[in-house]
Amino acid sequence: MHRNVYSNGHAAYPSMGGSGTFSIQPHKFQPRSQPSLRRRRQLIQRILGAGSLFFIALFFFFPNLRPNLGAGPLSFFTSSEDAQLETVRYYDLNNVQGTARGWEREERILLCAPLRDAAPHLDMFFGHLKNLTYPHNLIDLAFLVGDSKDNTIQKLTDNLKDLQANPNPKQQFGEISIMEKDFGQKVKQDVESRHGFAAQAGRRKSMAQARNWLLSAALRPTHSWVYWRDVDVETAPFTILEDLMRHNKDVIVPNVWRPLPDWLGGEQPYDLNSWQESETALALADTLDEDAVIVEGYAEYATWRPHLAYLRDPYGDPDMEMEIDGVGGVSILAKAKVFRSGVHFPAFSFEKHAETEGFGKMAKRMKFSVVGLPHYTIWHLYEPSVDDIRHMEEMEKERKAKEAEEASKKERLDKIKNTFDSKSSDWEKDKAKVQDLVQQEKNEAKAKEKKAKEEQKEKAEKEKAEKEEAEKEKAEKAEKAEKAEKESGSEKVKDDEQKESQKAKGEAKKETEPRKDAEPVNRDVEFADPEKIHDVRGVDDKPKLQPPQPRL
Amino acid sequence: MPTPRSLRRQNPITFVLAGILCIGFFIFFFSSSDGAPAVGTQGTGETASNVLSPPSLPFRKSKSNEPPPAPPVVHYYMNNLTNTRTPIENSETVLILTPLAKFYQEYWDNLLRISYPHNLVSLGFIIPKTKEGNAAYADLQTQISKTQNGPKLKRFASITILRQDTESPLNSQSEAERHKMENQKPRRAAMAKARNSLLFTTMGPTTSWVLWLDADIVEFPPTMIQDLAAYDVPIIAPNCFQRFYNEDTKKNDIRGYDFNNWIDSPTAQALGSKMGKDDILLEGYGSMATYRSLMAKMYDPSADPGAKIKLDGVGGAALLVKAEVHRDGAMFPPFPFYHLIETEGFAKMASRLNWESYGLPHYLVYHYNE
Repeated sequence: MHRNVYSNGHAAYPSMGGSGTFSIQPHKFQPRSQPSLRRRRQLIQRILGAGSLFFIALFFFFPNLRPNLGAGPLSFFTSSEDAQLETVRYYDLNNVQGTARGWEREERILLCAPLRDAAPHLDMFFGHLKNLTYPHNLIDLAFLVGDSKDNTIQKLTDNLKDLQANPNPKQQFGEISIMEKDFGQKVKQDVESRHGFAAQAGRRKSMAQARNWLLSAALRPTHSWVYWRDVDVETAPFTILEDLMRHNKDVIVPNVWRPLPDWLGGEQPYDLNSWQESETALALADTLDEDAVIVEGYAEYATWRPHLAYLRDPYGDPDMEMEIDGVGGVSILAKAKVFRSGVHFPAFSFEKHAETEGFGKMAKRMKFSVVGLPHYTIWHLYEPSVDDIRHMEEMEKERKAKEAEEASKKERLDKIKNTFDSKSSDWEKDKAKVQDLVQQEKNEAKAKEKKAKEEQKEKAEKEKAEKEEAEKEKAEKAEKAEKAEKESGSEKVKDDEQKESQKAKGEAKKETEPRKDAEPVNRDVEFADPEKIHDVRGVDDKPKLQPPQPRL
Repeated sequence: MPTPRSLRRQNPITFVLAGILCIGFFIFFFSSSDGAPAVGTQGTGETASNVLSPPSLPFRKSKSNEPPPAPPVVHYYMNNLTNTRTPIENSETVLILTPLAKFYQEYWDNLLRISYPHNLVSLGFIIPKTKEGNAAYADLQTQISKTQNGPKLKRFASITILRQDTESPLNSQSEAERHKMENQKPRRAAMAKARNSLLFTTMGPTTSWVLWLDADIVEFPPTMIQDLAAYDVPIIAPNCFQRFYNEDTKKNDIRGYDFNNWIDSPTAQALGSKMGKDDILLEGYGSMATYRSLMAKMYDPSADPGAKIKLDGVGGAALLVKAEVHRDGAMFPPFPFYHLIETEGFAKMASRLNWESYGLPHYLVYHYNE
């Protein structure tokens, strides 16, 4: 019997043991005493304790079983994760129509950039991004990286993390998404095959596909504007978003040119996809089959369309607008409502066009305004084509040949100069000798004068005061003569300098007309007659006339 | 000495019984009412960590007392995105899109019955900014808060509600007015814009399937999504019917409702080629006989319910589309596209992108009967 089992239980509850008040007498009915109630409370407490322990364990291991107590103060007891989860979003599309002064109304922009093997351009691109004057927190970035074989993704991620690590919240961008999707394109991305006519239609279609995937995954109900930007734009104004937005058009593109090396003319229109429709092109379109795609800038399709790029005037009004039908994809600012209502980049032949040109056509079809700015220019990176590279190689070769020729010429001249160098040093020696002689003569003359003076002084002392005046005159005269002598000496130094410079000139001239100096016979004559030297010097630096030098 | 009564009460069996009772009580109380097994490890959809995230994902609110952190750099591996014939096993997310002009309780109840895991389902609604729309929005809001605060298994991953920016060209949404022929083009153009707005803003990078479901579809099998996905075709439409009381036979009957699911005919093509650029071909109007084969007329209760046919035009009543079809750019043209507009134009555009449309003539969904 289990009462027996419990006979041991007394040990566990000694206080309940022998006390007569707790024992119930079978022959005597008594109302339950207070302590027994208290004991029952103990039992209830135990049950509750066990129950709560059990549920804590249960909820710990099965979070899904936790009761939902709703939001509010009670939510402290539910899992905090759950209460923080927001599942319902409400948006009014009337608030995101896009206006001319979006930065004041805090309108969000989605910046889309499709990438493929773009690692070399990313640093430049992020430089542009950081410099944008539009509030960064209102710009959401979306990248689609596809079929890349280089480290585009890694570099992109690092750059983006750097951007967001900026401690200034004003410098941080909004939502940033990187989509990775390979479309398995067969067309190679290098400049030559990218722009070949045959590859164009297929390439444009797969580009369109990439753009659509990017847009459809990144467009949110919060966006008022969408900006498409290629990463290989080299120069663009920092205020480009505001500048384009100010026009308040549904779709707007700037003019896109690219700088060229000087030998190619310095600059060139780059994006030929922004154009106005022409009758010729429409007639041409009618003759083509359903899947054909007209691509601009190839002789195969002469469309005679006015291109935005060719209408550029560097001094024109940058705010001038031009209605266009096809748009280029280098830099497109469009209102998000354009994309929301369904305009996209046709990856099929839409009215004989695909990708961005088809986009322009479709926007027009839905009665949106499509505008280009012919005098507002951004500059695309110049990547030399294969032809250009070949040409450059040729130019390099030519340059090297020229350099080699010049070097050999110089060598020859040096040789010639060296042969004459010894002669000119002879001349130098001669001159030095001559000068020495002149100096000697002078010194002798001085010495003689001194002697004469001393003698005169002695005489004067002897003859005393009567002759003083006459003597003074004499002394003055002698002094004057001395001065004159000295002056002539300094003149000589000047002369030397001039000769020096003349010599340098002569050497320079030697290079051009080496034979003139090859007549050292005239030397002495030249030295003797400065006028002759002037002839050699040229007229412009004629020295002051000098007193003729004493001949040896 | 007899054991004290109070001690007898503390019999361990009492504890065990009490425990079992409690467990039973709590399981009964907190598990969902439909008695579905509570499996905690079902493939849960992703969760975004910032408000700035695709609307097809739920997000975690940031704590209000701290400055919001910089939005993270998020990678989406769209190469791994699948849409297969076994969507539940592969945890593929479904986005159910509904242009909502009028709210039907039957629609919502029916939607809650779908057996596709709700944590993989996101909903999107677009509601016009009209008086009717406001009423519909209020009703929807009530139901949503009920569902999203209700049992966990019934909660949807996320719900997005958009208010339409384009003006509805028609003031009246009554059935007669809506179906007048001259009203069709502007009406359907506005409808197409609404559909596109809804589609392109709510489709996230993780969406695998898009199910278009009109607000007046009030009955379909709970397994519809899996059933349609099992065909593994880009675009598939079940046959849209309507229940009504047949006065002739004096009993409840069904009739075809959506005439936009059709196979093209030479007559219609000839008609189209003679039309101006901006004219559209319409289906279901006596004055414009196209002689197209309508799927609504092909229903045969005795035929194999799994049979599928290839379609040239589809309706939007119920339509399961692989997300990649939309991503490639197939949308609902609000302008005459090959003389077709909206959902019919969508099928045409998809076919230009090499995506084929199919229909299930013997798989029925039911339209509300006004």
